Amino acid sequence: MADERKDHLWKVQEADERVEDLVSGGNPVGLDVGTSKVVSARKKGKGVDTAMELNAFIPVAYSRFTENILGQNDISYYREGDELIIYGTATERFANMFNTDIRRPMADGVLNPREKEAMGVLEAIIQGLLPRAKAQGEILAFSVPAMDGKTSELTYHEGTLRRYFESLGYKAVAINEGLAVIFSELEDENFTGIGISCGGGMCNVALAFLSIPSIMFSITKGGDTIDASAGAVLNEHAFRVKVLKEEGLDLSKSPKDKFEKALHIYYEDLVETLVDALRRSLSTAEKLPKTDRPLPIVLSGGTAKPKGFKDLFERTLKARSLPIEISGVRMASDPQTATARGALIAAMYEK
Amino acid sequence: MTGRPPATDPEGGAELERAIGSVSQSITDPVAKLRYLRGSLADGRAAHTHVRAVPSAHLRWMLYRILSVAGLRHTIDIRSLGYRARSEAAGGRMLVLSRIAVAAAALLVAMGLVSVAYKASRPAARPVEASAPGPGSPARVSPPAAEPGPELHQAAGIAPSAVWLVENGAEFEQYSNGLRIDTSFAVPGPPRSYRVFEADGAFGPAVHSVPVGILYHTTESDVWPLDAAFNENLRDSSHRLLKYVSRNRLYHYLIDRFGRVYRVVGEDGKANHAGHSVWAAEGRTYLSLNHAFFGVAFETRWDGGRALPITQAQLASGRTLTQYLRQRYGIAAEMCVTHGLTSVNPRTHRIGHHLDWARGFPFEAFGLPDQYGRPAPSVATFGFGYDEEFLRVLDEPWPGVRAAEQGLAEQAAIRGTTVEQVRRERQDLYDRWLAEQVRDEAERGGATMPARSARTTTSGG
Repeated sequence: MADERKDHLWKVQEADERVEDLVSGGNPVGLDVGTSKVVSARKKGKGVDTAMELNAFIPVAYSRFTENILGQNDISYYREGDELIIYGTATERFANMFNTDIRRPMADGVLNPREKEAMGVLEAIIQGLLPRAKAQGEILAFSVPAMDGKTSELTYHEGTLRRYFESLGYKAVAINEGLAVIFSELEDENFTGIGISCGGGMCNVALAFLSIPSIMFSITKGGDTIDASAGAVLNEHAFRVKVLKEEGLDLSKSPKDKFEKALHIYYEDLVETLVDALRRSLSTAEKLPKTDRPLPIVLSGGTAKPKGFKDLFERTLKARSLPIEISGVRMASDPQTATARGALIAAMYEK
Repeated sequence: MTGRPPATDPEGGAELERAIGSVSQSITDPVAKLRYLRGSLADGRAAHTHVRAVPSAHLRWMLYRILSVAGLRHTIDIRSLGYRARSEAAGGRMLVLSRIAVAAAALLVAMGLVSVAYKASRPAARPVEASAPGPGSPARVSPPAAEPGPELHQAAGIAPSAVWLVENGAEFEQYSNGLRIDTSFAVPGPPRSYRVFEADGAFGPAVHSVPVGILYHTTESDVWPLDAAFNENLRDSSHRLLKYVSRNRLYHYLIDRFGRVYRVVGEDGKANHAGHSVWAAEGRTYLSLNHAFFGVAFETRWDGGRALPITQAQLASGRTLTQYLRQRYGIAAEMCVTHGLTSVNPRTHRIGHHLDWARGFPFEAFGLPDQYGRPAPSVATFGFGYDEEFLRVLDEPWPGVRAAEQGLAEQAAIRGTTVEQVRRERQDLYDRWLAEQVRDEAERGGATMPARSARTTTSGG
């Protein structure tokens, strides 16, 4: 384009800070604000740059000594009265050290009403992933869950986040989490199919036809439910169960010990609940897509990561009769970033 | 897998969606595909009620195919298309096709009209008698060159008692001193917000939002000869430049070669004009001047500053603009300075990271003190140096740098240490102050510092 003669504007190009502004200016952002993790996605060259942070915190008593230790070890924290609030990825390490459970600023997909620190912690976590908009009105698409019958909580959650993003200079748009998975993973299918995001607090499901969602729902079971339930029956902290789960749980093999046995049981329970909800939702839907092709299902989210999860889901699906034909089940290319990458596509679409 | 086939559309909507789906398979960009799908579905559904009445399946397929191909226009539409629904009623079965044909024809007519209007608004450069180019004037389109600077013309006359807004319209503001600001390219900037370092070295707690200085720039863009034969080039060049600086919010004001003053970023917002820079006056030190200073750019190339690189019209407009800004915001004369005099590189601790107007700015013509003679704050306060490249362009530093270096030498002599040691200490001071300022901006939500640092300081930890 004739009006893009940046090469003649050598002075502008020469300034590092301006080049930075130009490169990232007007750059849309996708943000997956999940109960367990917050993930950001931005365009970088021809690819997508993602970053994630654990959406958790742990308060410890304030002392100058503790604060020095945190500072020296580059731990994310801030002081709140007599407490130091440690947040983000380091939280798990400290939970282990202090033998206590981590706390969540979000629960069941929305801001946790039982945590007075909820928004403060979430803001701190988001600040680490999301710079202030370079230009007023940059588009940010953030994920929100589908909330059957809990619309007031979702309205508050979405409104609070939207205001915060706007205070950072963004124009914020919300996108359903399941639809975001469809955007990121079902492009080759013309954004037609079922996207499922299995997160920490809940599982979100969307069915879209040619990108238009027709069914969206969620179940309030997720990775945290599995950890808490298994922890309760094993008399262990949930975070310890989480660590074991993430160290290499394989749902395709028989459980080796009581931990794995408990995890298998609760995973099966989660998948059964999910598939039952999917069947119920499809059966009661007023409008189903006008297509003669079977639909694909794509699974994403950290809770779907253990080996054998897809097989478990397929087995459970086969045992039930769905009102539509399914062409196949597959995992997202990167389950943990699928929602954020889909939100990025939504942001670029809105730009 | 389990289950029966999905419900089919008894009304034939699947035909449309199949056609759209088939076209979209060839789109590889996910965002373009999304735009296409949503745009085409919205268009198609509006037409669907009529097309489905066509008895021939083959003809229906052709119509849906035409509609789906026409939907490709959405892939080049940068606006948000959303779920646009067409609600208007159609008059007949073939209305859809006729709409497409009419739309195409209307598009062609509109393009023709726009083209005619564009030409009419931009008449070919017809030189007036006094400035008619000689027969040998080349209509060259070779690389543009900078104009030799014209003589400053000091006109006498009655000056208004003050600068006030005489009149404004949708895209202009007219002031009593002759300043006319074109606002058609103006965009808002992020709100100004800055703190300053006081004389005692303390980072003043007050957060300011009113600009206190003016920084003069050159755009370093194409400069065509100021000749009627190049009128079209001159106008196009300015137009492209304005779009570019507006899109990237690079200055508050731009003065084009004909002296037209354009507001680029709103006066209450920050523009990205100064980068890392240092200035000081009345005991206060300012770092990174984007927030505290207006950025006023002249469309020209500085080219070493041995000749005045701006036109008489630019000079006159620059004076009236300066007058207006100084009066409106109470800007002190010593706070009106050039980019080249303030620009620094924090990594190398060298001055002259940008050199525009590092020599040759007509301060006197602007009614301003000679800033080239003032000891450079970047050198005097922060011990910055310069390199060979700096000397290659300037031959020698401006007098203020020499004066500041003299101060450093005297300080070293008094303390019985080396100049290098004094420089290092002062460069460390700059690093600390800059870090403090960056941290502060991050805390106030203005930068990209890690959340941990920001929150830690906020809470007094």
